[in-house]
Amino acid sequence: MSASGGNSASVMMWAQRIAAKRGAPAHELLEIRATATMDEAQKAFHKIARVAHPDLHRAGLSEDELELLTAAYALVAGAYQTFRSQPAPAVPAARAPAPVPVTRSGPAPATNASQSMSSKALLYYRKAELALKRGDLKSAVLQIKLAIAADPQSAFLRAALTEIESELAR
Amino acid sequence: MGVALGIDLGTTNSCAAVATPTGVEFILGSRAERVHPSLVAFPQAGGVVVGADAKRFRLTEPQHVIHSAKRFIGQNIRAPMVQLALTGIRYKVIEGPNQQPVAVLRDRRMTMPEISSHVLLHLKRCAERQLAQPISDAVITVPANFTDAQRQATKEAGRLAGLQVMRLINEPTAAALSYGFGRDRDQLIAVFDFGGGTFDVSILRLQGEIVEVLASDGDFFLGGDDLDRALAETLAAECNTVLNFDPRPHPVLMMKLMMGAEAIKCHLSENDGAEGEIDGIDLPTGEVGSLPFSLSRAQFEGLIEGYINRTIEVTRNVLVQAHLTPQHISDVLCVGGSTRIPIVRQRLAELFDREPNYRINPDEVVAQGAAIQAGSLSGSIIAGTGMGARDAVPTEAHSPLLFGGAPVPQGELKRPVLLDVNPATLSIQTAGGYAERLLDKNSPIPIERTRVFTTARDNQTRVEIACCRGESRRYEENEPLGTLVLDEIPAKPRGDAKIEVSFRVDADGILHVRAADAESGAAQEAHLQVFGAPVESA
Repeated sequence: MSASGGNSASVMMWAQRIAAKRGAPAHELLEIRATATMDEAQKAFHKIARVAHPDLHRAGLSEDELELLTAAYALVAGAYQTFRSQPAPAVPAARAPAPVPVTRSGPAPATNASQSMSSKALLYYRKAELALKRGDLKSAVLQIKLAIAADPQSAFLRAALTEIESELAR
Repeated sequence: MGVALGIDLGTTNSCAAVATPTGVEFILGSRAERVHPSLVAFPQAGGVVVGADAKRFRLTEPQHVIHSAKRFIGQNIRAPMVQLALTGIRYKVIEGPNQQPVAVLRDRRMTMPEISSHVLLHLKRCAERQLAQPISDAVITVPANFTDAQRQATKEAGRLAGLQVMRLINEPTAAALSYGFGRDRDQLIAVFDFGGGTFDVSILRLQGEIVEVLASDGDFFLGGDDLDRALAETLAAECNTVLNFDPRPHPVLMMKLMMGAEAIKCHLSENDGAEGEIDGIDLPTGEVGSLPFSLSRAQFEGLIEGYINRTIEVTRNVLVQAHLTPQHISDVLCVGGSTRIPIVRQRLAELFDREPNYRINPDEVVAQGAAIQAGSLSGSIIAGTGMGARDAVPTEAHSPLLFGGAPVPQGELKRPVLLDVNPATLSIQTAGGYAERLLDKNSPIPIERTRVFTTARDNQTRVEIACCRGESRRYEENEPLGTLVLDEIPAKPRGDAKIEVSFRVDADGILHVRAADAESGAAQEAHLQVFGAPVESA
């Protein structure tokens, strides 16, 4: 079983350790620090999957052991999903670039764009601006929607979307 | 453990393969065909005829040839989309136990899993003949957006065919596995799977031996069949004008037009226009007429535009779900026969700003991926064994599967780790008619999540946990899955009881629900009995 990652005994020790932590916070199940980023959570989960995915151990374990391993793996997958569904932390406003008006014609919105969205959302927002400059309203809508997906909390982005969509409707 | 079969059980065609130490070997039919029509005929003369041999009965006795059974398997016959799909078939389907669709053939009634089991049995027998050994294990692929009931029904079909279904895997994931297996690289790909009856699109990350689905979406009632039907309706209208005879109420004629439409569609993928006539149209006068047609590719594209727009819209949407833009994607795999249509490829190229990858064989890549997974689960793929698939085309020299007849690379091959996802959000009903989410769409499976709920009334000793599937915050706007009852909860003021509800989705994508009172430990576990699912035979 060496090629399929980890020997059965150490994998079963891991499974028992995880099973004992049922109900614990997500980072404890993934065995990472509480302040871990999404990237770190993904790395941890992939590392576990490479070694402990139940599919890799069908041949080496008894039925009961495989069931325990599957249950432990499923708990860790749930913990990983908890990490994934948390909104991305916003970047401090000071580090983000200056705001830019969102539409070609209208005045700059009063809100400071960069203060109200995450760095990932800002990336999409910049692309939306470029699309607007080209006059490509449809792409702009898409980019803004992507920005909203990256930062669902941002009221600024929602306002921008409404504005462009109403322009598109005209 | 012996050889395990990988099966792509399709709406229109099926394909099977096995992973051997030297490569992926496809299972051939009696005419050496790799692609087997998913047809089951029960001809007047008796017996059951499956696959390519069943094709000829479609013209002589269409009411006895079951096609597109996948559209009805595990479905509730009362669902509006199912009712609509029923108008497109020429055999008889009635409502059976548990609201499941049942086909009626003379005096026989057959459930959809029974019909699909004939296709699986046919493939199993072909494989046993070809490999000269009995086969009992299989991995079967299903559309990514298949529901719990559809998955259960597909497993049931496997069981009826005498197969131990080791795993159900999602079709786009199988395609990605086939593409990525043996390449050691980190890339983001999209799989656009537009088949005979279903449409799926998945975004995946390939990272070493890990094949991780980031997001997946689709439309279960959208496929090449719909395009054929759109064209057949046009031909029928043409028939009405030219021959002054409406063929729509006549199943044999409509089947002829559907088959004609399919041929025209395929012709237009290679040519700019199609001209000819459909012969053998029996007119009420007793004469036999023929229907001339002349159609340009552009006219055909106009007919199917709405369907194509829908696929592109779903693709944009799934990218948003994966938090990616089209520019992040480094390859777009075309899977399923309908991706041969030029307008589909053109629209994909526009969306991703790159030519989609059509060097893979869209009809075979899914079965190939299923065979790799079957080989991995059964242990027949082992480290140090190279795999090379004959005729699997592309060029990357270091990828064993994409090797066309050149020497098989040697060296350590790690067993693939598939991280597939749950296709729809799973929730329970809470006070006020809301759906409280337990498992999000696109969560990795197998997965388990538990949440604690409480009682809404004082001294409540019984709760009903109604489970549903769908993205709405309102329970009734989602698809109900079934209800679990937990009683013997100790009487307490409202809000004091702690009821733990666990949702577990297994590696086949099937949901298991457990509810327990945290204090007394009274627990109920349910395998939800879903409408349309096969009835448990006691």
